[in-house]
Amino acid sequence: MKHVIIGASAAGISAAKTIRKQRTDDEIVIISKDDTVYSRCMLHKYISGERSVQDLSFVPEGFFKNSRIRHLAGVNATGIDTAKKVVFFDGGQELYDKLLIATGAESVYPPIDGLKGAENVRALRDLSDAKIIREKALAADNIVIIGAGLVGLDAAYALVEMGKKPIIVDLAEAILPANLDVRAAAAYKTEFEKAGCVFRLGVRVIGVIRDQNGLVTSVTLDGKEALPCGLLIVAAGVRPAIGFLENSGIACTDSVTVNEYLETSVPDVYAAGDVAGLSRNWPNAVKQGEIAAMNMCGVSTVYDDTFALKNTVNFFGILSLSFGEFVPADGDIEYCRESRGRYEKVILRNGVPVGVIRQGDISYSGFWQYLIKNKINIADIPISVWKLSFADSFGMAENGEYEWTVRA
Amino acid sequence: MKRIFIDADKCIGCKNCLVACMQAHKPGTVSVFGLDFIDPALESRNKILLDSRGKCIPLFCRHCDKPGCATACMSGAMVKEPETGYVRYDSDRCAQCFMCVMNCPYGVLKPDRETGTYVVKCDFCADHNSEPSCVKMCPVKAIYVEEV
Amino acid sequence: MTQRYSCAVCPSADKELGAFIADLPMETSFHRVESQEVKCGFGLTGVCCRLCANGPCRITPDSPKGICGANADTLVARNFLRAVSAGSGCYIHVIENTARNLKDTALAKGELKGKKALERLCDMLSISGSDDYDKAVKVADAVLCDIYKPDFEKMELVKKIAYKPRYEVWEKLGILPGGAKSEVFAGTVKTSTNLNSDPVDMLLHCLRLGISTGIYGLALTNLLNDVIQGEPEIRMAPVGLRVIDPDYINIMLTGHQHSMFAHLQERLKAEDVTKKVQTAGAKGFKLIGCTCVGQDFQLRGAHCTGVFDGHAGNNFTSEAVLATGAIDAVVTEFNCTLPGIEPICDELKIKQICIDSIAKKANADLKEFTYETREAVTNEIIDEIIAAYTGRRGAVPMNLLPEHGNDNTLTGLSENTLKEFLGGTWQPLIDLIVSGQIKGLAAVVGCSSLAGSGHDVLTVELTKELIARDILVLTAGCSSGGIENVGLMTPEAAELAGPNLKAICKQLGIPPVLNFGPCLAIGRLEIVAAEIAEAIGIDIPQLPLVISAPQWLEEQALADGAFALALGLPLHLGTPPFVTGSPVAVQVLCEDMKSLTGGYVFINNDAAESAKLFEDIIVGKRRDLNLP
Repeated sequence: MKHVIIGASAAGISAAKTIRKQRTDDEIVIISKDDTVYSRCMLHKYISGERSVQDLSFVPEGFFKNSRIRHLAGVNATGIDTAKKVVFFDGGQELYDKLLIATGAESVYPPIDGLKGAENVRALRDLSDAKIIREKALAADNIVIIGAGLVGLDAAYALVEMGKKPIIVDLAEAILPANLDVRAAAAYKTEFEKAGCVFRLGVRVIGVIRDQNGLVTSVTLDGKEALPCGLLIVAAGVRPAIGFLENSGIACTDSVTVNEYLETSVPDVYAAGDVAGLSRNWPNAVKQGEIAAMNMCGVSTVYDDTFALKNTVNFFGILSLSFGEFVPADGDIEYCRESRGRYEKVILRNGVPVGVIRQGDISYSGFWQYLIKNKINIADIPISVWKLSFADSFGMAENGEYEWTVRA
Repeated sequence: MKRIFIDADKCIGCKNCLVACMQAHKPGTVSVFGLDFIDPALESRNKILLDSRGKCIPLFCRHCDKPGCATACMSGAMVKEPETGYVRYDSDRCAQCFMCVMNCPYGVLKPDRETGTYVVKCDFCADHNSEPSCVKMCPVKAIYVEEV
Repeated sequence: MTQRYSCAVCPSADKELGAFIADLPMETSFHRVESQEVKCGFGLTGVCCRLCANGPCRITPDSPKGICGANADTLVARNFLRAVSAGSGCYIHVIENTARNLKDTALAKGELKGKKALERLCDMLSISGSDDYDKAVKVADAVLCDIYKPDFEKMELVKKIAYKPRYEVWEKLGILPGGAKSEVFAGTVKTSTNLNSDPVDMLLHCLRLGISTGIYGLALTNLLNDVIQGEPEIRMAPVGLRVIDPDYINIMLTGHQHSMFAHLQERLKAEDVTKKVQTAGAKGFKLIGCTCVGQDFQLRGAHCTGVFDGHAGNNFTSEAVLATGAIDAVVTEFNCTLPGIEPICDELKIKQICIDSIAKKANADLKEFTYETREAVTNEIIDEIIAAYTGRRGAVPMNLLPEHGNDNTLTGLSENTLKEFLGGTWQPLIDLIVSGQIKGLAAVVGCSSLAGSGHDVLTVELTKELIARDILVLTAGCSSGGIENVGLMTPEAAELAGPNLKAICKQLGIPPVLNFGPCLAIGRLEIVAAEIAEAIGIDIPQLPLVISAPQWLEEQALADGAFALALGLPLHLGTPPFVTGSPVAVQVLCEDMKSLTGGYVFINNDAAESAKLFEDIIVGKRRDLNLP
């Protein structure tokens, strides 16, 4: 049996590992546009100079060799003939018995005239982006970042560590809206500002001005204000990387459509990770890679751990963690407490936790994810939400693993 | 692999297991007398929880068969070792995202208290060539090791 | 709906105080409860022994004896007797200082504010003298002579002060105490390594310490203080953080030794001092009562007007009092002076002065009070506090809580003032008890603790449950501070009482909870109990009376408890005193004691359940007395 995996990030690598574990002798081929394996969550550490390319890897040295995986690196998949079971890529093709699409996502550029194509405008998604951003940032004075989400702030943080003071522009009023509530996010805003960053929030970028060499020299905000700009980093979101699937017959919407076995509309073709559109975080991508791989190996496995509303944030030594929703709906009970750099929030809906934020001290809080994703009513546990832990759910299986005794 | 089993009914909250763990992971100490209990760097990898009835529930890393912490790790620092079954953490590789803390369904993990730059994680005292220090020091046998 | 919690603090019966503390920028005891929640079971049950280098030994099913062979009973009894000895020692230190102050004052022909109290005391002790000073010296000497006796010589005043039927029981049991200090000494020696291993002997020694504590440390300390500082007078007084007026130089007091402040409080009113204060920009000096010595001031507040304005709160309120920023100095002489106040004093530039070396605080200047050097020491203290005031005001934030507490807490109750209030005889109260309008009496005494239920929570809830059952509650100790701050000692609290008690309270204009003041006043409650028993013609254990230290905190409280057991009273505790690891100790304290003194311990940490147990006991005692 021959497995071909397109993509060498969280989902692709975890799938490859799982296949190898399941099937010692199967052939595994990974096709990736990236030359090396790296964790894109760490790219900002490359930009800042904290980590080398080698240090961005999340697999052990000699991984491909030791796992007997053929890695076709630095090649872009260009299409799939599902009838002939063949993947095409720049300069070649590869037959498959089972195929996993794990191409992840690609950056979205806001529809602003003159944005795309300028040499000093770059989104941050791939190592190649990070390399260029680092190189340009070293020389640039005025750096503007579009987007105050996690990627934008990752970039900003890297730049701060390089001694730069970027301006961050976002249409939203609050930073990190997908990660934290306003109160928790504000702690980071303060720190970024202390470090010299400037936020222009609630502001739209309406255009850029380019010089005779095609370089962007300033960014125009609505209200006509112009920000001088030597380097523009775009962190305005991503979309699943499905362009090469056009005409493949594999059903897609914005992403590849999959069933609960992570199988696409075409037999023997699977999808996992960001490209499958089910979630956009690392742990879920890894999990989906595993599940898809199990099914590719003929072990029927359902992907049911779909809960994806979970985040951590770590800038300036302030750690935050969030699960679920940040804003209470009508009828919810919201518990908040804060002191000495700590902030905690729990939202209960009819006794069921639907959201948790912890900032400052995130110790021992993983159990909340289980309660939230399994919609476990905690109203009957006579203990304050601040003291809740796994204790009231403690149970042990025969093999010594924990078991939850409290159920939905 | 081996796993630390827990008989919560026997635990009386003496915290000997915490002390044992602190000592085992404090380089250069050979006994409890070498510990400075107000040193913020002194950390225990285990914890005693109280349930709503005030009952002690010792919380020890399971080195799960399907470890949520390792799944969440984006740097390759947290890895389930196929040979031993232990979930090993390499602080040198760690990128401090703490998604492992987020993804441990039992709330076992925590960032270190003093610097917030690494994860405090049970290593089964694997470097000590014997059973885990916590188990050795439990006076009531509320924790014990079994092969699973 | 959003519920905001500012901080991880323990619960508080006093909600305003709890919210205030939760919002404080500094750490208090309330904040530390959570991090100490997991308690060691060996310590909790008393089966950990560190008396020798073989230890610590802990008792488990696999290790039922220490290396020396001591079993759980020996371990527990040793630990318990050690604690009771230390607790007794605390109170004996207090009576010793009080007697010495009385003697020194009398020898110097200083002011004795309680002439009638002196007369009564002389009557009680059969002492006569040429004048009041001579009498006072003789009274003080009689006390000092007793407490300095060796342990093989019985103290003489016990027979004169104790209720006769009780004295006879004690004599029969062989638990009449020798010299009070020597009994503490013996308790310490007995419990040292490889000495006493007899749990029953050690528990009986606790009773002996209980008697010396009760008669000397408690009862006599009050009576001597009454001579020096004047007798309590019934009046209404303000309580809570509202008593702090930032226009004054405020001195928070903590401790248990009222007599040590006699000189300071008079100097603060002196013209030259007032002038100095006004030059510094304040209206004057104020003493802010905190812990039991604050209760003493409140009780005798009629003799200290102008300088003492009110009691702010009990032991675990002290950090909040300081956190208001309006306290310029803390003058301490004993417990309950929490180590936790030190960083707060540092942060808010509050001067800490300690006037008794036995309770020296790490941050405090020691300005030991002695009668001979009082002038110089007091002037030094005053000057340093004025300097602190000048240096800190404006430099530290104010965080007042003027709405906290109330203005009409009934205070000034004592064995004498209550009897006078009743018309000079106990008969009206006895009649109410006999008729059943008052079902019985409960003494809710002792401390506040945080770890069990939260600050004053069980104390206040239990008190509410008791008054709702027409049980009249008398208080002494930090329980008084907690109960008064939540308003249960205002006449309006009558509304919370059961129908009969409510009617009585409304008729008399009194609250259903009567505040006798500091923990020392447990001695006054004993006198009240003895006099009522005498008037009825019964022994104390027959009274429909239960004593409770729902939130006992300290070793001193255990010595008080030993006194309650010696008196033959049912003694309720919210949490067990580290003895439950010993079957013998539990059997003796909870059962066998009944046949010895008539008293016994029962433990319950639920207010409603506890109150029901109180009621059952009271109903049983009423039945035995053929009362309806």
